[in-house]
Amino acid sequence: MSWETTIGLEIHVQLSTKTKLFSGASTQFGSNPNTQVDYVDLGLPGVLPVPNREAFNKAIMFGLATNSTINSISFFDRKNYFYPDLPKGYQITQMNKPIVENGEIAIYVDNKEKIINITRAHLEEDAGKSVHDLFDGKTGVDLNRAGTPLLEIVSEPEISSPEEAVAYFKAIHQLVTYLDICDGNMSQGSMRCDVNVSIKKPEDTELGTRAELKNINSFRFIDRAIRHEVNRQIKLLEKGEKIVQETRLYDSDKNETRSMRSKEAANDYRYFPEPDLLPIVIDQNEINEIKNNMPELPKAKVSRYIDVFNLDEADAKIIATSKEMSKMFETAAAESMNPQLAARWLIGEVNALLNKDNVLLSESKLEINNFSALIIRINDETISGKIAKTVLEKIWETGDTVDSIIESEGLVQIKDSGLIEEICNKVVSDNPDQVAAYRAGKDKLFGFFVGQVMKESKGKANPKNVNEVLKKLLS
Amino acid sequence: MDKETVSTIAHLSRLSLENEKGDKLISDLEEILEFVDQLNDANTENVDPLSSPLEMTARLRNDDLNSKDRKSKFLSNAPDSNEDYFLVPRVVE
Amino acid sequence: MTIQYKSIKELNEMLNNKDISPTELLDETFQLIDEHKDLNAFVTLNKEGSYKAAKELDSKDAFSSLEGIPIAQKDLFCTKDILTTCGSKMLSNFVPPYTATAIENLEKAGCLSVGKTNMDEFAMGSSNETSFYGNVLNPWNKDFVPGGSSGGSAAAVAAGIVAAASGTDTGGSIRQPASLCGISGLKPTYGRISRWGMIAFASSLDQAGPMARTVEDCALLLNEMCSYDKKDTTSLNVEIPDFTHNLNNEIKNKKIGIVKEFDLSKLDQNVVKNFESSLDQLKKLGAEIVEVSIPNISLSVPTYYVIAPAECSSNLSRYDGVKYGFRTDNITDLENLYINSRTEGFGEEVKRRILIGTYVLSAGFYDAYYKKAQQVRRLIKNDFDNAFKEVDVIVSPTTRGPAFAAGSKSGDPIQMYLEDLFTIPANLAGLPAMSIPSGFENNMPLGLQIIGNHLDESTVLQVGHNFQVNTDFHNQNPSKGVS
Repeated sequence: MSWETTIGLEIHVQLSTKTKLFSGASTQFGSNPNTQVDYVDLGLPGVLPVPNREAFNKAIMFGLATNSTINSISFFDRKNYFYPDLPKGYQITQMNKPIVENGEIAIYVDNKEKIINITRAHLEEDAGKSVHDLFDGKTGVDLNRAGTPLLEIVSEPEISSPEEAVAYFKAIHQLVTYLDICDGNMSQGSMRCDVNVSIKKPEDTELGTRAELKNINSFRFIDRAIRHEVNRQIKLLEKGEKIVQETRLYDSDKNETRSMRSKEAANDYRYFPEPDLLPIVIDQNEINEIKNNMPELPKAKVSRYIDVFNLDEADAKIIATSKEMSKMFETAAAESMNPQLAARWLIGEVNALLNKDNVLLSESKLEINNFSALIIRINDETISGKIAKTVLEKIWETGDTVDSIIESEGLVQIKDSGLIEEICNKVVSDNPDQVAAYRAGKDKLFGFFVGQVMKESKGKANPKNVNEVLKKLLS
Repeated sequence: MDKETVSTIAHLSRLSLENEKGDKLISDLEEILEFVDQLNDANTENVDPLSSPLEMTARLRNDDLNSKDRKSKFLSNAPDSNEDYFLVPRVVE
Repeated sequence: MTIQYKSIKELNEMLNNKDISPTELLDETFQLIDEHKDLNAFVTLNKEGSYKAAKELDSKDAFSSLEGIPIAQKDLFCTKDILTTCGSKMLSNFVPPYTATAIENLEKAGCLSVGKTNMDEFAMGSSNETSFYGNVLNPWNKDFVPGGSSGGSAAAVAAGIVAAASGTDTGGSIRQPASLCGISGLKPTYGRISRWGMIAFASSLDQAGPMARTVEDCALLLNEMCSYDKKDTTSLNVEIPDFTHNLNNEIKNKKIGIVKEFDLSKLDQNVVKNFESSLDQLKKLGAEIVEVSIPNISLSVPTYYVIAPAECSSNLSRYDGVKYGFRTDNITDLENLYINSRTEGFGEEVKRRILIGTYVLSAGFYDAYYKKAQQVRRLIKNDFDNAFKEVDVIVSPTTRGPAFAAGSKSGDPIQMYLEDLFTIPANLAGLPAMSIPSGFENNMPLGLQIIGNHLDESTVLQVGHNFQVNTDFHNQNPSKGVS
């Protein structure tokens, strides 16, 4: 039996404001527990929230970059529930009228473009953190994160495979880091997502019952959690059982999802308009000003790369979708004066390494200046392409600079014609049979001689020079 | 108000009605709800709800740091804490 | 010489004449507090802080209107380093690290905060019988309630202990106790006075205000309590006039509205008579009495008893025994930490309102109750907007009757809620309203309510002051009895 998968994502993006959504306390990650807590964040009696303009500006940037509607009037609501890391007993969020609605973003799977519609993106405050395993029999509460602004981005249920889900999450990640509205640091929880998954038969017109997978914070886990959940649902349905609409927690250690039903029992969030905050009005002038100050977006970059650097559209898109990669490309292109070479290396070798390790460029040890140096050294023929590959792998492991690797490993290309001639002579005299065969017309053997020379020179001989010398010797 | 509703409302409020005053509270609630049912007399078709008497818009604040570390004061006022955290009975996730 | 029953204005003259120093004024005030301990008007005294402030003023040659004036603060206002209980066991150990903006403004103007006054728990009550710290007694007759929720503030002023007190008013909590205690009290326009540091009951209704012996004193206090506060986004950024400026302008030709839909026939007939004689007094001063229609006003109390509990159920969720305040000793897990802390920490009335509020916001009931009430709230506000096209102020009795005996209504929530029948509409519409003494029934004070248009406290005060300089009700006091 075949099944169709329907996936929708709710992505929580921590906005990189200096201060919290409703207080002047710092949002910096990694400080000592409870040192970044204002009266408002602690939910003390009599204190009141004052919204942070910058959080709105960042939300609007996201809206503009996704062709969304920016609501000139938006409201805050209260979502009521008890939890130790929610100091007020309610979360201030935008339920009824979010700042951003009806947008879209393009994703690429197998080089094919698909548009995913964005239902809404709303501002809300983050909760604090509960630490369950540090203290004997007790849970510790750290409120440093409480009140940090989040943009919750909700997609339409239009994603139909784990690959697309990952591509969508990556596209959002790339966009928010491009816009510099989020640091994109997944390991610090700057982006987290809830995934809604359901399956149905192709002929069914209505969606199946969905399960919500909570709080997934890596590309790899999205993929695995969805695969696991889809299998679970297929097994249930094929056994003739029903899917229960519920929240499930993905356990990355055991690679399984489990029900959080017990926690949800009779949960009713009793949303109502936040009486401490009047409606937020954003006028067109403010939106225009934000628009004028936005960084260049991937779409514009793609056309520029095609026009100015003569790149293929496909290549331009791959480079432009990542802020880090486009920065790397533009720097290397300018410094080496060889944009084609820089593009080829990014799309080929660098991309292969990224995929192998399933990491983002920003998480790798390859720095912008080091990549530029690598392209310059290839371009000026200090090292061959083959050597360059070795150097890149070394950088990937250690983060050392190109020149220090070339020097310490003695990888400078041999261009000294005397030295090359010496090696070539040795190869010719060591292989009399092959020489005879070549001279008898077995042209294919030329490659054998080149290979021997490269082996003898440990790959450092300049292939162009080697070709010339060998041709002369063998003729 | 049936028993189930009462217990749901009590649970959402994190209040216990299981003492001698619980029954009185429940009958009071029923009386109050009956009283507010008068609202059904009003014709509110096409009337926008009013959530604040001020029909104005909110001011926004600039993103400036304006707070200091008050950890020790806050934690010392808490019913249970250690040097870094507020403490509650262990929560099982 | 005694300072008992002196107004702010009289005390200011004494200070400027060097008849008394601020420190001596405090000595006498604390003596009066001690003599009237039985009223249970105060929860906490602030001797150290007030004497320190007084000493700094002692050497002054000239005193501005509020400099050196002792004042009592409702225990709902957060006061830095001073216990702030809000009348609840839940906050029986809560010492705020900040001071409410309204109180800070008064202290900056030179007021000496002598202590925190008793009140209904979290401002929920109309008789001061819901306080964890015990009932407050009415100085006019100690078997009677002083009204609530600002009952301690009203009793302290009525007993002549202090000339001024702060109060807060969500559905009548300044005006009703002012009326029952025979003093003047003003609830300004919503947004006039910052709510920062005021412990929230119902955020869209709560408003602080002054309570004093005279309208003129209320104007002096209001001048200082108002400010545009960036910490409260609902605080109004509007010009703050000198509220004493046109007090003495006559009210000839002012149009004074009476509400057609207020059915006075069901009221205590002494209240009706008293109200009619107040109207006669206003007519004598040249005002014109006009009937206005507020068609939906009869729905004010049910509207209020949906909106206020809804907001309160959410506002009071922060009291959970985790970060500050009371925590139960009966803990086995997080769930019963919450339930037992809240069940033991809150009194019955607070619990009643939390439960009602939770109910009206819950799935399936929101539209029928909460949304409906918000719609009716708009209708009521629109009604007032229309009425104020025709009149300058609207008057009514403040309460349905004089103070009642303690215990007589506490078992019946609806009867208690109807206490605020006349005062609630102004909160729903966010309008300024005050109560001034208008006479007596069986030696217990009655009050006249004056409701003004949005931001027009000046006219309310003007009408009240004109009434007051031509009557003697505000000059009566419990010691001499009613003359």
